[in-house]
Amino acid sequence: MIVTGHERESNSQIISNPADSTAKDLCKNLRSITPMYIGLKIRKRAMAKSRSIQENNVTTGKVIHFQAVWQVGALLALSILLALSINQLRSDRLPLMGDWSIKARLTTPGGDRLDISFEEAEKLFMEKSALFIDARSMDEYLKGHILGARSLSWHDVDRRFIEVTEDIPPDTLIITYCEGANCELSCDLALFLLDMGFSNVRVLLDGWSEWNKGRLPVEKGNTVS
Amino acid sequence: MLTLSARFILGGVFIYASFDKILHPEAFAEAVYNYQILPDKLINLTAIVLPCLELVLGIFLIINFWMPGAVVMCNLLLMTFIGALLFNMARGLNINCGCFSTTAVESSMNVLTVLRDASFLAISGYLLYAIFFYRK
Repeated sequence: MIVTGHERESNSQIISNPADSTAKDLCKNLRSITPMYIGLKIRKRAMAKSRSIQENNVTTGKVIHFQAVWQVGALLALSILLALSINQLRSDRLPLMGDWSIKARLTTPGGDRLDISFEEAEKLFMEKSALFIDARSMDEYLKGHILGARSLSWHDVDRRFIEVTEDIPPDTLIITYCEGANCELSCDLALFLLDMGFSNVRVLLDGWSEWNKGRLPVEKGNTVS
Repeated sequence: MLTLSARFILGGVFIYASFDKILHPEAFAEAVYNYQILPDKLINLTAIVLPCLELVLGIFLIINFWMPGAVVMCNLLLMTFIGALLFNMARGLNINCGCFSTTAVESSMNVLTVLRDASFLAISGYLLYAIFFYRK
């Protein structure tokens, strides 16, 4: 750094006698440290700039989150509107609230009901004109089932269907049952058997409980496969 | 470039998935019912609205419209699907996925179905990152 004679003079003045330095000298001194001031200014400006970028990013972040929220809502609303209009326009429209209860599911498109009353089932059992199929698990079947019923657990139906039903003529009257008012195993099994070509399938809802209540013949173990 | 391909893949998948369901709402309602997660009252509504949501979402992803919302929705949907699949696999319910086709031809769900959905979620997660966290 080149130091001019003038500066050297003023610096030496401060060092030699700082208490006597006049306002004029002070100004001269300030001039000598101007580069430091400029550096500071530049740094300040850079910091302010980066702060504004950060603030800007935070604002963009807030904006984008806000956008996401209203757009999700708008997307949902748009889809619901579109869906309802499409559904309204088509001939095979779905009712907005379908009846998915067991009884409704057991009604064929022709209006026939698949479920039969306990009395009817009892009569068919006494006449020996129906084959009962237990849709519960094998364990439950072994603990007790309707006399003469076969076991075809709904959960094993893929594996055991052929083995259990290969000797049953397709027009045999089959009655499926399980346990519990909301038990759907027997419904699922009945609909499946209909699909598989058995034309005469019925469901005895809550069959096992009803059967025990009516004190009708039961048996234990695996007497019939 | 990566974002562009991610948008097109996901958009395409969603649009493709929505077609069969929009054409056969009844069969799709049956598929929703089989999941045995939603209450009976919501089954039909879901079967009607969900395919349209997938269609709209797919289109928006491709045309790059309302991206923040579309990407969030996309992630939410995929997470719901994976959750429903895992839930039913865990309780041993053997049902059709109903993901791309409403007919029983589509094999029932398994680990591969979940992996497929998980890979879609990975792409979707990348988009989420690209839009919300990777800004210059």
